Amino acid sequence: MIEQKTYHETVLDAAKEVFETMIFMEIEPAASAEQTDHSLLGSITFRGNLEGCLGISLSWPCAQAIARNMLALDPDAEISEREVCDAVGEVANMVMGSIKSRIQDIYPDIAVSIPTVVTGKELNSSLPDGTEKVSVSVCLNEEYYADFTFSYRKTE
Amino acid sequence: MPKSLMIVDDSATMRKIIMRTVRMSGLEFDRTEEAGNGAEAIEKLKASPVDIVLCDINMPEMPGTEMVKQARQLPNCQNTKIIMVSTESSQELINSVLASGANGYITKPFTPEKFQEQLAPFMS
Repeated sequence: MIEQKTYHETVLDAAKEVFETMIFMEIEPAASAEQTDHSLLGSITFRGNLEGCLGISLSWPCAQAIARNMLALDPDAEISEREVCDAVGEVANMVMGSIKSRIQDIYPDIAVSIPTVVTGKELNSSLPDGTEKVSVSVCLNEEYYADFTFSYRKTE
Repeated sequence: MPKSLMIVDDSATMRKIIMRTVRMSGLEFDRTEEAGNGAEAIEKLKASPVDIVLCDINMPEMPGTEMVKQARQLPNCQNTKIIMVSTESSQELINSVLASGANGYITKPFTPEKFQEQLAPFMS
């Protein structure tokens, strides 16, 4: 069984891999970023012998910075809402993929959905009873904050 | 020798990232195409085949696994090299996709070096 502390490390390591390899942003663990205005939520669900959801919540300026870095644009370059949402969805997709590869020895049958991104205020996901939740807050480029939430429950 | 490339991914952002990473790997193509899902890719390949296809797996309409099978039925795509690019990393899936006709597999997140390693053998 993977303990919550280990899931925390797994999510953080997966996020680090994606941000350092694909997005070229410095990433460090942070205290809870709940105080910031998180108006985007990217999420991806998974099912199998472990089921649940990975979410990334972040502010619009943070999402824009991520999208510009992913697309190799200048920091003040114009970028559309669609491109920003697409980029946040890809972050969720890639971090979940990295998490999956890290736990596949224990949970080999996980199937992952296509990511979705929603905008709004006070965004969160609701999940069934018995679901455990791990939250990982990160600081990006010493400027932006984002929260990853990994919610899961075993089905076997 | 001139080479052509098609990138198949439902995310326009990811298509741009893949294109940028291919360029960073030092590989050059004289023609590049894009498709947003497997069905669109098949239609484009019927009209104009390419040398190399980089294809996602998890896509709406037609997933990459089905795209590979259908592409292999096209007479003008028998020599097309199809490399899957996906977050899926289970060895069982990789073996299955390779058995159904794919020529290589790159997992996300990826680096320019991974593209160089997988694509360079098909560039000569």
